[in-house]
Amino acid sequence: MKQYSDLEYLQLSKWKKFCYRILCFFRSIPTALKNFVFGIGRFFKNAALAVVREFKDIFFTFKDGDVHTKISYAVMGWGNLARGQILRGLLFLLFEAVFIFYMVVSGGYWLSMLPSLGKVGPGKIYDPIYDVYVYQYNDNSFKILLYGVLTIFFIIAFIYTWRLNVKQNKIAEDIIKSGKPLKSGRDDLRSLVDDKFHKTLLALPLTGILIFTVLPIVFMILVAFTNYDGSHDGFINGLFGWQGFENFRTLFSWKGANGHSYAATFGEILTWTLIWAVFATFTNYFLGMFVAMMINKKGVRVKKLWRTILVMTIAIPQFISLLYVSKMFAKNGIVNGVLLDLGWIKQAIDFWGSTANNGLLARVLVIVINIWIGIPYLMLIATGILMNIPADLYESAKIDGASGWKQYTKITLPYMLFITGPYLLTQFTSNMNNFNVIFLLTGGAPTNASASWASGNVGYTDLLITWLFKITTGEDAKYYLASVVGIMVFVVVALITLIVYNRLPSVKNEEDFQ
Amino acid sequence: MKKVLSILLVLAMLFSLAACAGGNGGGENPSGEAPSGETPTGEAQNGDSPLAGTYDIKVWVAEAITDLTQKQIEDFNNTNTDGIKFNATVQAVGEDIVATQLITDVEAAGDIFIFAQDQFARLIQAGALAQLGEGASQIVKDNNTPEAVAAVTLNDGLYGYPVTADNGYFMYYDKSVIPEEDVDSLEKLIEDCEAAGKYFSMELQTSAWYLASFFFATGCVSEWTIDDDGMATALNDTFDSPEGLIAAKGMKKLLDSPAHVSSSQASDFAAGSAVLVCGTWAYDDIKAILGDNLGATDLPSFEVDGEEYHLGSFSGFKLMGVKPQTDVTRQAALHKLAQYLTGEQCQLERFNERSWGPSNIVAQQDPAVAANAGQIAINLQAPYATPQGQISGAWWNIAKVIADEVKDAADEEGIQAALTNYSQKCNALIGVGGYVFVGAWNGWDNADMTHKLTEEDGVYTITVEVEESDYMGGRIVTATNWDTDHGAAQVTTGADLIDMEAAGGDNNIVFKEAGNYTVTWNADTNEITIVKN
Amino acid sequence: MREKKTVKRHLGLRATNAISNSVIHVLLVIISIIWLIPFVCIVLQSFRLELSGPVGYVIPKQWGFDNYAALLRTDFKQWYINTFIIALVNAALQTVIVLCMSYTLSRFRFKMRGALMRLMMILGLFPGMLTMIILYRVLKDLGLTEANAVPGLILVYVASSGMGYYVSKGFFDTIPKSLDEAARVDGATRMQVLFKIILPLAKPIVIYTILTAFMAPWGDYVFARYISFENPVGMNVAVGMYKWLTLDQINSNYTMFCAGGVIVAIPVTILFLCLQRYYVEGVTGGAVKG
Repeated sequence: MKQYSDLEYLQLSKWKKFCYRILCFFRSIPTALKNFVFGIGRFFKNAALAVVREFKDIFFTFKDGDVHTKISYAVMGWGNLARGQILRGLLFLLFEAVFIFYMVVSGGYWLSMLPSLGKVGPGKIYDPIYDVYVYQYNDNSFKILLYGVLTIFFIIAFIYTWRLNVKQNKIAEDIIKSGKPLKSGRDDLRSLVDDKFHKTLLALPLTGILIFTVLPIVFMILVAFTNYDGSHDGFINGLFGWQGFENFRTLFSWKGANGHSYAATFGEILTWTLIWAVFATFTNYFLGMFVAMMINKKGVRVKKLWRTILVMTIAIPQFISLLYVSKMFAKNGIVNGVLLDLGWIKQAIDFWGSTANNGLLARVLVIVINIWIGIPYLMLIATGILMNIPADLYESAKIDGASGWKQYTKITLPYMLFITGPYLLTQFTSNMNNFNVIFLLTGGAPTNASASWASGNVGYTDLLITWLFKITTGEDAKYYLASVVGIMVFVVVALITLIVYNRLPSVKNEEDFQ
Repeated sequence: MKKVLSILLVLAMLFSLAACAGGNGGGENPSGEAPSGETPTGEAQNGDSPLAGTYDIKVWVAEAITDLTQKQIEDFNNTNTDGIKFNATVQAVGEDIVATQLITDVEAAGDIFIFAQDQFARLIQAGALAQLGEGASQIVKDNNTPEAVAAVTLNDGLYGYPVTADNGYFMYYDKSVIPEEDVDSLEKLIEDCEAAGKYFSMELQTSAWYLASFFFATGCVSEWTIDDDGMATALNDTFDSPEGLIAAKGMKKLLDSPAHVSSSQASDFAAGSAVLVCGTWAYDDIKAILGDNLGATDLPSFEVDGEEYHLGSFSGFKLMGVKPQTDVTRQAALHKLAQYLTGEQCQLERFNERSWGPSNIVAQQDPAVAANAGQIAINLQAPYATPQGQISGAWWNIAKVIADEVKDAADEEGIQAALTNYSQKCNALIGVGGYVFVGAWNGWDNADMTHKLTEEDGVYTITVEVEESDYMGGRIVTATNWDTDHGAAQVTTGADLIDMEAAGGDNNIVFKEAGNYTVTWNADTNEITIVKN
Repeated sequence: MREKKTVKRHLGLRATNAISNSVIHVLLVIISIIWLIPFVCIVLQSFRLELSGPVGYVIPKQWGFDNYAALLRTDFKQWYINTFIIALVNAALQTVIVLCMSYTLSRFRFKMRGALMRLMMILGLFPGMLTMIILYRVLKDLGLTEANAVPGLILVYVASSGMGYYVSKGFFDTIPKSLDEAARVDGATRMQVLFKIILPLAKPIVIYTILTAFMAPWGDYVFARYISFENPVGMNVAVGMYKWLTLDQINSNYTMFCAGGVIVAIPVTILFLCLQRYYVEGVTGGAVKG
């Protein structure tokens, strides 16, 4: 492809400019990917160097340190206590005690079982006296995996704290050497509401995220490497164990009946998911902006009323409105009833059941209904932004004789796009994972006959996220497969995000905006 | 000078963790507390029965009978001679979703639950059904028809108690739309509906249970063999046959009609349906809508190539399951309760209150039962009904797709393709039994029957041609399934032929060089022998 | 001559304006009707007495409040209270968490800030559906499922809410930093800056956060269903009412579902309509920066 200089570019026609920009975008993808890969490489290199540095530091602190420092290597907080920093010392000591206690009481058990995920499975024996079968449940693979991971988290936290404890000794020694006083417990507390205030603020949110977001994600990634499913639940009906990359192989190479594999099903659903995300995002975006502009136009009356009516779809919980709308479009629902009565159609339309053209009707309909839900949000956002556009821009445009359309393409749209770039991106990714709309409206219907065997009865409107749900609640409850699919979904979404995110103008200039 | 907070943070995490993990060693009792009985004395006696005590239990039944079940458990508490007292929490869980709900966490499931027969295999698979003892099995056999007993039987054991015997379907119709003389012909029914602008409701696209009706009409069968773990091991299925093709053609007539609605709800009559294929449970609701115009009769016949075929149906059961317990007295007491709840008296109570047709032989003789309109229609349909038997849990999803494919099909070829597709999926499901040596040589295709091992006296053998490639590895797995695998760890003879390093910690058998090998796996000793030819 | 032309042009403008405005009005009326139809239908169905299942017509033949009265005989009250408690507590706690998070990330420049934000963005891309199973087990071991699902749900909602800091961080970014600096020069601690200077200015975003946090629990179905595990004591309205639409109950409980839907929608709608102004200010101040 020819690369244009700035001057040449300016001389191109509009259409050519557009094509050129698109080409540029695609051409930049390999570079972006390359940078990404190199970025990872750099990251690992730096990490390795940092580790070496840390070890050196630990070693020399010990070698050069005084006796308190040396004792601190075994008894955490000793140095702090000896030097009068009672609060810190006690916290360190307490942490060490709790850690040792935990590891002895249960952490050790979980850790030791982690490699095997359990040794003794369930069993049943006949009890002749009571004439019943009695069941015995032994190791619990699920708990072993869960608490094993938690224990590892905890060990990492301990190592980090221990390292901190060592570092503190060194710093304290340096400060004493320079003749300054050490910080007291009161100083520490004060700094928590002042220069270390961010730590106070972040402590709680990050703890929550660690336990309720990071831990589950780590766990679910690990599940992708086991055979955890409905017939190996780890406790009641059989242990599960490590499978290596088996499940990934299943997803990508299992040739099923009729030559239709998981890979093909995955591809099919992914394609629709992307189509859906594009349409759901952009139809809402432009139509929402359009509605906002209509309402905001000078001379339009009762603006508040229009806004209020639209906003009701936000306020009313989706499980009510969507379930109802879904029923309205049933073959014997109200919509068909009205259309038949009006004589506009001769036969009832099977909106959700028609499999013609890969369920085109249902697919279009979910996108249309999604507009019904999505416009109000965009309307609100666009209203706010449009009001912020300096009015003199339009004035001068008018003086130059620009038409309404021209004003829109030259002023409104660029302004909106610039400001809502990141919002569009998050909308796109959240539409890819838009569980509610699909689940409540169609539940995935109509059935995709050729893909249906690939676990969970895939339908034409199924997104990857609803497929995941179907896999976990389907007849075999293949959690491991859901997990593999989940990881693949993540990879796709993350790739899109990474590529787009880094080229958004408003992200690049985070500081400028102020 | 810093990070005091980090420590606090970690502490917070630790406490929540300790709270989670506190004292969770290995095995534990997944069910609630239970009184420990003294040494059992054999015969239960009032007062000092070893079963005496109070048990907290959870019961899952359909919403319609929650109150009734609560009352029946009260009755049991008052009348039983063992001194058993149940503190029951009765929760509404539909019979059709029990398995789906239960499979997510068996521990938290109801101790006793009623489920529709199609979920039997899945529940077995989930380990959620306790096997009945000999006495209990005898009670079930004495009080129920052989079909009902078969519904809870798996191989040699019984795993549940029949509750109702009317889990089948027939036809409801609106007399004001459908003339009496048309009810025997599917074609005429469709015509009448189309002419009147009404709908014909039969849940074909979303339920294999109803869809099977057409196939049974032409004499097709789908009989499954299920093992003790709930997995399908063998199959006798004739849906993909000339008879199946006739059935599919008949079904296409209904599917292609603009009047057809894939639904089985009583309320369809309020939404413009004139015909509905459904079961006895819908009777009261339909009566409320249609009043005197309600008609109920056996399913119609359809005509293909001049032949008439009367639509068949499934006749199934609702069953009661007891969740496996780790405590022997608790388990025994729960079985006593289940026996009571499925006994003649309770079944009749359910019939009187909710028209649930009893499975108990004595209760079925009750005159009121015999006179029930829904029951009469069931009886009319009975000659054409097929007992449900044990069916693989996955079959329901595989089979229901036939309807959509047949509807889409443009010609006979398309219909045949749908059936071929169906039978392939079914066969893949049971894995056609046996084991496959998957690996580089067949693209890791575990459904590849050309690499299936031949069996003789528990010794499986295969000869495989290994071609030169980067990774000449593979392993022995259950056909179409990755569940059991046998690999490098089992190799006893010929270990020098394989390359453990290339396997990279995987259990794969990776050959050092290309060539022709004979691999033998002894199922008894679980040893693998490799010989290079 | 020239003057005349201008006048004419003005008239022409006014005329086109009038036409386009009336077209817009017609369009808006059509849109409003489309938007309102489902809600009107739900309300109408909730008053239907003659049949309790779904039917093919909209206007009831017999009207009455029986469906609303019937709600009181079910566990609906319990579900409603549950959801209300969850929504209320969630609104309070989640706001604190989100504000802590977003304020910090907007105002402080510390070592791990960039990495933290990136990490959180990546975590947010993981399909949350998967983590349900494990969260269920964790909550179960803590004894916070089934009958105790309410605190369990609150815990999970609040604990993971730190991830949703984008909008309010965007808002804080628009508040000039010079304000902080001036206060710091006057000797205020960081905490005082937050409470005395920033929060009063951030009223729209605070209300926005409260509003969204209050509204979210009303619609949560999948996760709430997992946690309550069929126990009516621990259900929220979505889980409880969804049951009325299952095969075995829809014929007898459909109109009750509509009535319940109306009852659920009323407080949320009123609250939203009252606070709409702040919602717009918050979301435009915040979402634009993402």
